[in-house]
Amino acid sequence: MGRKQTDGGVASGTQPWIRYRSRIDSETVRSYLLGVSGVIGFLILWHLLSLTQPDIVLPSPIAVGERFVDELLSGDMTTALQQSMMHWLPGTIVGTALGVGAGVILGWSRTADQITAPVVRILRPIPPLAMIGFAIAWFGINHVGAAFIIALGAFWINFYATYGGVESVSDDLIDVGRTLGVNGNLATIRTIVIPSALPEILTGIRTGIGRCWMLVVAAEIFGVPGIGREIQRASTNLLVDRVIAYILVLSLMFLVVDTLFRVGQRRALRWRA
Amino acid sequence: MNEMTKLDIDRVGKTFGGDEPVRALDAVDISIDDGEFVCIVGPSGCGKTTLFRIVAGLEPPTDGEIRLDGTAVTEPGPELGVVFQEYHLFPWLTVEENVGFGLKQQGVDKKERQRRVTEMLSLVGLADAASSYPSALSGGMKQRVAIARSLAVDPSLLLMDEPFGAVDARTKEHLQQELLEIWTETKKTILFITHDVDEAVALADRVVVMAADPGRVSEIVSIDVPRPRRRSDPAVGAYVEQIRRLIGARE
Repeated sequence: MGRKQTDGGVASGTQPWIRYRSRIDSETVRSYLLGVSGVIGFLILWHLLSLTQPDIVLPSPIAVGERFVDELLSGDMTTALQQSMMHWLPGTIVGTALGVGAGVILGWSRTADQITAPVVRILRPIPPLAMIGFAIAWFGINHVGAAFIIALGAFWINFYATYGGVESVSDDLIDVGRTLGVNGNLATIRTIVIPSALPEILTGIRTGIGRCWMLVVAAEIFGVPGIGREIQRASTNLLVDRVIAYILVLSLMFLVVDTLFRVGQRRALRWRA
Repeated sequence: MNEMTKLDIDRVGKTFGGDEPVRALDAVDISIDDGEFVCIVGPSGCGKTTLFRIVAGLEPPTDGEIRLDGTAVTEPGPELGVVFQEYHLFPWLTVEENVGFGLKQQGVDKKERQRRVTEMLSLVGLADAASSYPSALSGGMKQRVAIARSLAVDPSLLLMDEPFGAVDARTKEHLQQELLEIWTETKKTILFITHDVDEAVALADRVVVMAADPGRVSEIVSIDVPRPRRRSDPAVGAYVEQIRRLIGARE
């Protein structure tokens, strides 16, 4: 009753099999409200818990909020964020691009897969953090070194996601492509393999982006400036409210980037029912 | 081979496997005239699908040769339109993008592509669904899109592997009727593989009956009944009976 019969932007509106999209709207509002009440509940619980503990163990959310505003206004927070972005962004982009590229090639070519399989299996279990020594030796204590650690994390996630997606591309679709004039590896990869594996590739990229925010902290462990180093410093000085305020920056950045990415992802995959 | 011959399946054989080879097809000889509608029927395991893949150029024969307009078929090409049972539309493309896919591969410019796509979609009665994605379509609609997609590049032969095997009986009859109309309108040569004897008799000029172990041609029956053919017509019934007996006798 009174529910808008949206046609979801379909120009002609002559498609009776696209219906009831408006249902999603009320569902979205509902889940949004539930989410907000969850956050409020969490804050209340945190506050009550903090009353029983000294500030050095668990500061109240109010103290953290004040600290957050202070750090933001003093400019320290934005500086640290800019510094982290200097390695987060290139690290994520390079690692993602190489991971997706390698995943496509090894997922597609049996020969390339067989040649690299043993090496891949040896390299795979090495945690990015174990490579910090190499990062310093090869690139120095700077943004490039930190970007290298972040790129490693992005690489493996994207490599495996893409590899799996490419491997599961249907042979039938490739056959159809051949009958319609798709010839050669490059054309097949471009017109069929990548679009078909796109859901897996995008999931990989999204997971990778999240992992890279976590790695920001780890990558700054050896003295590269940024959010991660601020967290470590505050932690050494037992400034717990400052620790949490900077952790919040990471969470918020992740939230912003992840939300933007999801919008793009949904657009790119709107063909999925 | 005479001038009228469109497709020549010339003593085609196929053996699979290494240690225990299986003879899937043996000396299959079928010659199809230009504009002819030929159905292939046979029991499961008679190598229909193998023959389909060989004619489509998706798989090489072990011996013999496929010739289309006198030229050997060694790989898939635009002269040969292929329709699969499971539609296999590209799910990430809209209906019109699916239909225009082959034209795009050939480098046909956007305007001409649009014109051809519109023409094909109205041929299969799906002009309204142009901007939908396949996930929003029913099975019958999907198969219409698949047919439009294969016809868009204007192949001289349409090869169909049980194209109506996955839709319900009512839709199937509609689609058969539409296919005959398309055939009359476009004058394409059609090679249609099915396990449904009624369907073969309703559609074909000639029905090729295959037998299994190894897959081979057992008989070719000309259907001398004018179209449209009714299932209740005794002449149609007699052909269905005859072909069923041919298949049954070998099983």
